[in-house]
Amino acid sequence: MLSLRGIDKSFGPVVALEGVDLDVHAHEVVALVGDNAAGKSTLAKVVAGVLSPDAGLIEMAGRPVTIGSAAQARALGIATVFQELALCDNLDVVQNLFLGQELRRGRGLDEEAMEDRAREILRDLTSRIPSVRTPLAVLSAGQRQTVAIARTLLGSPRVVVLDEPTASLSVAQTAEVLTHIESLRNLGHGVILISHNMGDVRAVADRIEVLRHGRNNGSFPAAAVSYEEVVAAITGASRPRAVAG
Amino acid sequence: MRRGNTTPGTPTSLREANRGRIVDAVKRFGGLTQVELAAATGLSTATVSTIVRELLDAGVVETHATSRSGRRAVKVTMARRLGLVAGVEVGPRALRVALGDLTLSVVADQTMPLPSDHRSDTTLDRAALLVVDLLDRVGAELDELLAIGLAMPGPVDSATGEVTVRGVLRGWDDLHVGQVLSKRLARPVHVDKDANLAALAEHDLGAAREHHDSVYVRVGHTTSAGLVLGDRLHRGYAGTAGEIGHVQVDPAGPVCRCGNRGCLDTVVGAQALLGSLRSSHGDLTLRDLIAHAGEGDPGCRRVVADAGRAVGEVVAGLVTVLNPQVVVVGGELARTGDVLLDPLRTAILTHAIPGRLAPVEVVPAALGDRAEVLGALALARQQTDVQHAHLLRHGHGDDALSGTGSGAGSGPRSGAGLGEGDDVGHPGTQRADGGAHESEAS
Repeated sequence: MLSLRGIDKSFGPVVALEGVDLDVHAHEVVALVGDNAAGKSTLAKVVAGVLSPDAGLIEMAGRPVTIGSAAQARALGIATVFQELALCDNLDVVQNLFLGQELRRGRGLDEEAMEDRAREILRDLTSRIPSVRTPLAVLSAGQRQTVAIARTLLGSPRVVVLDEPTASLSVAQTAEVLTHIESLRNLGHGVILISHNMGDVRAVADRIEVLRHGRNNGSFPAAAVSYEEVVAAITGASRPRAVAG
Repeated sequence: MRRGNTTPGTPTSLREANRGRIVDAVKRFGGLTQVELAAATGLSTATVSTIVRELLDAGVVETHATSRSGRRAVKVTMARRLGLVAGVEVGPRALRVALGDLTLSVVADQTMPLPSDHRSDTTLDRAALLVVDLLDRVGAELDELLAIGLAMPGPVDSATGEVTVRGVLRGWDDLHVGQVLSKRLARPVHVDKDANLAALAEHDLGAAREHHDSVYVRVGHTTSAGLVLGDRLHRGYAGTAGEIGHVQVDPAGPVCRCGNRGCLDTVVGAQALLGSLRSSHGDLTLRDLIAHAGEGDPGCRRVVADAGRAVGEVVAGLVTVLNPQVVVVGGELARTGDVLLDPLRTAILTHAIPGRLAPVEVVPAALGDRAEVLGALALARQQTDVQHAHLLRHGHGDDALSGTGSGAGSGPRSGAGLGEGDDVGHPGTQRADGGAHESEAS
């Protein structure tokens, strides 16, 4: 569905991405793993329209596209949850979900429709947030992550990008977020999951793509690959056979 | 979450309906503050406060002091004066933890996806942390937890939790699973095979409630069975009773994880089923296969149906030998409903010895995918009950408990397990119960 070919991106003398390929299909969780500064987050930002690549081709459903801004990405059906969730603590769940995209009825806001939609999305994600009118400040870190994921679902996206969604969460919260990721896949979305935690990645991903120093360094089916093989690719102990040098 | 609009009737019926809403909300979220309860039910805080006070007096709920964003608040949970038990189900691709009270109603639960061939240390660590997190969710302390029941996806020695067949669970060999977990949580842990616990749950609460002899068949990532004979779980000498996944169906078939050739699991295990779809459907997960079969995909339905027939032929042998009244079919593949069940039933009825009395019934599991974790809760409760019963009956020379008062050296099997028993406080009582569940003939 979303396909990136030969993506290059440099920041001055620093090469962040070099000829990176990535494919995501509907109904698929692709995990992007790699060391710090391997280019994972840069690639996510390219997909999200925050950064524009220096070279390379991006196709959405077979059509070449340019993702020049976050708004363009949203219009194409790509939704992103960054590590810093960008939620407002003083607003409640509904207000956060619809911030900047409020539903209107006449001149006012359609609070009821927004509440209903919010409940529906949270239910789809099998979330445990008791009330959609709870202020964010009260929610746990895992519940905030749920709200951030729920917000991406508002625009009915085709691809959801999650950057380190389980970092600094407790086990129960991690369990919830991983369950949400399974729900996203079951709903037919393509998911790009960026994570350091190999256990989490292997639990929910269909395919694992390894980045090393801004280059592709292996692609593995998550169900069949062992922990050691992925770590070997991350650390550079093994190299993909197809790619030279 | 919300119930349908209550019909505006008498004040009493309205009060009843509101009471039901509040109890439902507390059950759903484990524990809520009164303010959250008001938001979750749509009732006013005054109404919530009144009803919570009534429920408190009636002993239905409990309240605990807590804080929300720095303010003092009152957290409402279901009453559990008698304590809690935990059920943990370790599956091939998921971990499930539930907390229940002694009536086995679940007060909190959480599922967590796991990687394939997950590591025992990480998984047990996560299980322990999940138990603690869930206790926290319902506002309970660790010492309110009476016992933990653990369901393992393979044959285990119920005294130690050690997997008794090498290789069937990669990375879990030589590990006293119960001991590891009871060390972490400092609570007694009782371990059994998932199919055994599901069989127990279906016998106590589900589809086999009316019957003395039943076979629970679990068709999922792997295949196994739990046997209830004369209302007792039959574990066998080393816990491998019911391991139908390792019955040979093809003498020249591929080598199984257990070391034999052509086991049923090499034909109907998840790897085999997904492998046979790889050229036509690409890489699928077991859940994809189940979803596609449910949506009517012919290839996926065929694969599930053939698996049903193969399992049925093996279960037919079990039915002929054990003569149960009912075969209960559960596990992940049972979610496909009749796609699996019909050919499985046909194969059993075709190959099992035809009885002159009513033929064996083949029915879907009534508890669905909760059977294993409910069984784990039931096991934990049962062990706790036995501990209490033992204290009451100690010295009365009850047959089922004979020998336990004198200490470790009771039955031949019992003595072996006891030295390394994982039970913290009552090694003798745990043995007694283990003995009570094993077939006396073994």
